[in-house]
Amino acid sequence: MDDTPILSARDLGFAYGSIVALHSVDFDLPAGRIGLVGANGAGKTTLIKILLGILHPTAGSATVLGFDATKDMLDVRSRIGYMPEGDCLPLDVTASDFVAYSAGLAGLPRNAARQRSSDVLTLVGLDEERFRPLGGFSTGMKQRTKLAQAIVHDPELVFLDEPTAGLDPEGREEMLELISRLGGFGINVLVSSHVLGDIERTCDRVLMLDGGRVLRSGPLSHLVDADVVSVDVIGDISAVVEHLTAAGATVEASGSRLLVSSSDDDPFRLVRDALASTGSGMRSLGAKTTTLEDVFLEGSGV
Amino acid sequence: MTERGVVFDLGYTPHEGERRGRRGAITTTYRDGLNRVFGIHRRARKKILPWLLVVFAVLPAVVFVGFAFLLSTFAPEAESPFGSHADYFGITGTVVLLFVALGAPELLIPDRREGVLAIYSSRPLRPDDYVGARAASLLTVIAGFMLIPQILMYIGFAALSSDGFFKALGTNADAIPKILAAAAVYALAAAPLGLLISTIASRKAAATGIYFGVMLIGTALAAALVEASGVPGHRFAALLGLGELPAHVNDWIFGRVGSSDLVVESSGFDPWVSLVVILVVAGVSSAVVVWRYRRIM
Repeated sequence: MDDTPILSARDLGFAYGSIVALHSVDFDLPAGRIGLVGANGAGKTTLIKILLGILHPTAGSATVLGFDATKDMLDVRSRIGYMPEGDCLPLDVTASDFVAYSAGLAGLPRNAARQRSSDVLTLVGLDEERFRPLGGFSTGMKQRTKLAQAIVHDPELVFLDEPTAGLDPEGREEMLELISRLGGFGINVLVSSHVLGDIERTCDRVLMLDGGRVLRSGPLSHLVDADVVSVDVIGDISAVVEHLTAAGATVEASGSRLLVSSSDDDPFRLVRDALASTGSGMRSLGAKTTTLEDVFLEGSGV
Repeated sequence: MTERGVVFDLGYTPHEGERRGRRGAITTTYRDGLNRVFGIHRRARKKILPWLLVVFAVLPAVVFVGFAFLLSTFAPEAESPFGSHADYFGITGTVVLLFVALGAPELLIPDRREGVLAIYSSRPLRPDDYVGARAASLLTVIAGFMLIPQILMYIGFAALSSDGFFKALGTNADAIPKILAAAAVYALAAAPLGLLISTIASRKAAATGIYFGVMLIGTALAAALVEASGVPGHRFAALLGLGELPAHVNDWIFGRVGSSDLVVESSGFDPWVSLVVILVVAGVSSAVVVWRYRRIM
């Protein structure tokens, strides 16, 4: 995969009057599906608005697809799509007309806009409803229409701001499925969400914001796949711990459960040897699953 | 046996054709503005009023030319009782006020209320482009209202002239710059203020009401204030009658100053003063609209 950053920021800052929304934000994000996570008020939407050229940073700079987000705003906007979090649909227009209009606004000629509107609405599952006014759409259908207008002009990168907001479980599943498919269409994605499970489902890289600062940034697999083994021991726990520690493992005990990690050796093998040497048994053994939520809570000190 | 349909997933096809960038975004916004004010791609009820106003604007011209045709056929010696180009601006000026009262809110307010500005903000379009395209849509429609009936009358009366069609066109050619100038004055008097009110008001009905208030009630109020002769400088209140200022300038353009009972005229103001007021109001209104949209887009 090409590691050339599609999104970068250097010492990026923004303040709404006396309220500082972003402090010295730095990142380089390569192509792919990127999750932008953080609690409400973490600065996610502010960051997206800066990347779109809607807000101008009060400090530092940001680039999108190699273009300066402020100075080259029109170049950026010619290449990106945006699905806003809030309402953005005219209620008295059909989905077909609106998505075609959105394509025209991105510079596509009329016939191409019409054709792509039809194709993309079919892709998001609105082929039968596309000639109905948007005012009669359910929340799920509106979210799909919002996604359709964001990708109708075949952007290189699409910003999705809380794409699952307000959706029921079924609608959420369908939206996540659609987002997961975007990478296959050659469209890079930045998904902003405070629902960490959605990011885990759809993204391969994550940028975590907390209080306007970057908490973590990197491939999702590096953040959530800690090399830790969880074992529930039957027998003399202290002997097992002693054996593991002597073998160079780091052990964290909680009742009969041990969390074992090692920078030098396979922790599974160390656990096996310790149990065999001490004659202890076990109830369960497995890799400890670290969720994005664990990482976020650990990083934010909650 | 019933044959079952087959769904083909055609997948996603990248767009490899033309991309027109900012130019395309501006023309799309402009074209959408035209569609909106006429209710095209909207429900039927949104089409009724604008098209009714088109009929009101054009039908008298058709009737005038039709009666002129009848007169020229059956009573060639009779003087045509129907209006001149200058008179006709009195009709279309009123229709334009009505149209701007309905059309300007339709152009600006739904995009703000329904959050559609967020979509414009992700397209290669600057706030000034958006405002400019919307204003151009409104001005185009106003120009149509103003000029189409005038062109009908110009060509129609020339066709019925006993001097011959082409000679009559040439003889009346001096009316063309006057018609264009008068149309521009009416457009400047009506559109920027309508857009300003639609920028400030949050509901279409409120914007329409305020616009009528400023243009019609404001004119009546100005007349009442002028009458209040006990107030020093009361005659300047006549300049607040924005609804009748273009008629004052129209009379000037067509060389008919003194022929009407306009309050601004009876208060002793020259037509150029009315023109300056129109230009100042238009300039300030346009600047405020652009300033506001630069803040919210």
